[in-house]
Amino acid sequence: MNKPLLGFRKTKDRWVARLLTRFPFIFRRWAQRADILRFDQSPWTELSKALNQCRIALITTGGVHLKSQPPFDMLDPAGDPSFREIPAHIPAGELAITHNYYDHSDADKDVNIVFPVERVKDLKGSGDIGSVNDRHYSFMGHITGPHLKTLTAETAPRVAAELKKDAVDIVILTPA
Amino acid sequence: MGLIQRTVESAGIATISISLSREITQKVCPPRAVFTGLPLGHPLGFPGQASLQLRVLRLLLKQLEEIKAAGTLIELDLTSDHGTPGSLGAGGFD
Repeated sequence: MNKPLLGFRKTKDRWVARLLTRFPFIFRRWAQRADILRFDQSPWTELSKALNQCRIALITTGGVHLKSQPPFDMLDPAGDPSFREIPAHIPAGELAITHNYYDHSDADKDVNIVFPVERVKDLKGSGDIGSVNDRHYSFMGHITGPHLKTLTAETAPRVAAELKKDAVDIVILTPA
Repeated sequence: MGLIQRTVESAGIATISISLSREITQKVCPPRAVFTGLPLGHPLGFPGQASLQLRVLRLLLKQLEEIKAAGTLIELDLTSDHGTPGSLGAGGFD
């Protein structure tokens, strides 16, 4: 795709994202009609410990990444099913967001509104939870078409396996 | 996001998510989700409002303890007490 076309698409995607944020009824209509994988049942894991003994990790689909990591791919219209590992100790100022499909102008000011990396540390400090895992994970939402299989068969299971290896008890997932 | 949540839960880790769309969450059927009414791009509220962000997280943890059935979507309304919004403006909620 040539540069002017890419620029046009980026501008269009961002305007659509802004529109959906400001006018939730348009988003609701889109969501009602959206062709999304459907399930009638859900997997289940019982919470087996008290919260103040649990280790917690975060997963966001807000396109958050370290400034030093490669950004998510905005050129592929089917999205980017890869993930970024985010060290839990990283200062919020070292994080960036690459995602043209939602309006992240507020999250750019305070990443905690999509990825509460500092707030979970507060929960540890207040004794609400036992510990914060050393690493969190970030994906980009808006994954469609062939990348859905990559997500469900490869990248999401890899993240789940890593979190299991870390003996994480609870994962909080935040969309954008 | 629900697909990732289902995968992590299947691996043996208890999960809970914020829902920004009841319609999408009902289709994907994650194990536990909380719809707060907060807008797209603001699942935990607004910039600089650490107390609201913490409140949302504590609500999630409370629901994580209380939900006993797979596929539960809890519906709450946090839109009336969010304080001063960021760049969204007063027309952001319907």
